[in-house]
Amino acid sequence: MSAAGGDGAAGGTAARAALSVTGLSVAYGNVVAVHDATFAVAEGDACAITGPNGNGKSSILMGVTGMVRRRGEVAIFGTPARNGDVKWAARHGLTLVPERRQLYPELSTADNIVLGCYTWTRSIGKARRSDAYGRAVDLFPELRPHLKQLAGTLSGGQQQMVAIARGLAADPKILAVDEPCLGLAESVAKRVYDVLAQIHAAGTTLIVVEEAPRRALTLCNRRVEVRNGMAGAA
Amino acid sequence: MKFGNLLIAGITTGSIYAMFAVCVSVWYRVANILNLAVGDFAMVGALGVDNLYRVKGLPLPVAVITTLVVVAVFAYLYDQVVLRIAQDGRRPIEGIVVTFFFTFALSFFIDGVAKVLFGTDVHAAPTLWGGRALTLGSLNFARAGLLVLACAVIIGGAFWLYIRYTLGGKALEASGENSVGARIVGIDTRQYRRLIFVGTAVIAAVFGIVESPITGFTYLSGATISLTGFLAAAYGGFRKPGRALVAGLFIGVLEAMLGGYVSSEYGDTVLYAILAAAILAWPRALGFESAVSG
Repeated sequence: MSAAGGDGAAGGTAARAALSVTGLSVAYGNVVAVHDATFAVAEGDACAITGPNGNGKSSILMGVTGMVRRRGEVAIFGTPARNGDVKWAARHGLTLVPERRQLYPELSTADNIVLGCYTWTRSIGKARRSDAYGRAVDLFPELRPHLKQLAGTLSGGQQQMVAIARGLAADPKILAVDEPCLGLAESVAKRVYDVLAQIHAAGTTLIVVEEAPRRALTLCNRRVEVRNGMAGAA
Repeated sequence: MKFGNLLIAGITTGSIYAMFAVCVSVWYRVANILNLAVGDFAMVGALGVDNLYRVKGLPLPVAVITTLVVVAVFAYLYDQVVLRIAQDGRRPIEGIVVTFFFTFALSFFIDGVAKVLFGTDVHAAPTLWGGRALTLGSLNFARAGLLVLACAVIIGGAFWLYIRYTLGGKALEASGENSVGARIVGIDTRQYRRLIFVGTAVIAAVFGIVESPITGFTYLSGATISLTGFLAAAYGGFRKPGRALVAGLFIGVLEAMLGGYVSSEYGDTVLYAILAAAILAWPRALGFESAVSG
């Protein structure tokens, strides 16, 4: 099954595939979380991956970004991705903003964000002077007063913004965001989606995993529905 | 000027405790394993240099460099073989067994090998900076003690700068804070586990070399050193190198004062009684709470 196609794609031109996934399976021990998922996301798309909890949505992102080992083919801008290699995926433009944010609670907000640059540099000077880091920080004026604060002491919404900013600091062409509004108040969730829309408008391809399709579809022009570990266009 | 001289002696031993405590807590932060063999690397440093220089007759710089290289290579192989099997396989061993067992076993192993290689007598690496103690008024500064302090300041300072001001240092902290979050930005947590293990082994060996002229070492000295470092690190909840450093210095000074003013025989007993009482009185403030709950 393929979700590639032209309807409503941003820009309107025949875009190349940013991400194409063929026969993806992810298993944890004997438990199969994703079975034979096939879909594609065109460059400039905003793609929602939706479906009930526990159906393997997050596992798709984990497998695609290399956080867990997978079976099947994943290609990023046409280049076959190395299995289980997060850094390779990040260097080729695909970065994950994980479920539950996965920040470093005892590091400062600024340090959390700047570590996103670790995917492409070892120099803290280069990282701090980079456009990617500057853009990531500028996108969240509300984080400015908290840059020196420990990330673990921020509110849930602020932490989600730090996680997105860290993802942007990796300078991604494709940003995969897993359940960005989990546990957030409605007003904060709206702010998160406003930011995601801004990121998308700036030309970044978006993949958003959401349990609630209604919210995701305010932003996304493409949808992959996941049921029982099987993904298909919806 | 008894107080001043006791303070100098206390700060010297305290800086040794502090360095070992920092080594223990930094690696625990990264790898979640307590390095109970850190003192044994110090012992190998001291006795290795002594053996190569005094018994084998190598020039001192060659003896020092050879010893440090051997320690580094051994630590690297230990990580590659044992810790890799324990932690990096398909079914990593977790929990208290990993936290204590592997480095505890390593400590016994090193002791056994050292007994065969170096014998059971007390030895020390030769003094690197010989001569009479320097005096300032009525204060005496032993040269060996100053060398220890200088090493502590230089190595500790370099370590602090690395963690505070480099992206690698922040990545090191991140891998201890959240290993999933670290992998997301491409940090290889195993690489940092290895780097810090080898690095702290070499640092421990350096301290063994500069400290041994003061105290003298046997093949069993490692355990005592590890214990004191472990204790000081515990005051920082094993995760805060800064606190471990302060605790190490404090224990050193307190030990010297008790030895000088209370009793040279029962000084250590009183010291441990005070330390235990402090833990009972302020478990949370001293970081023991977080040491238990992780």
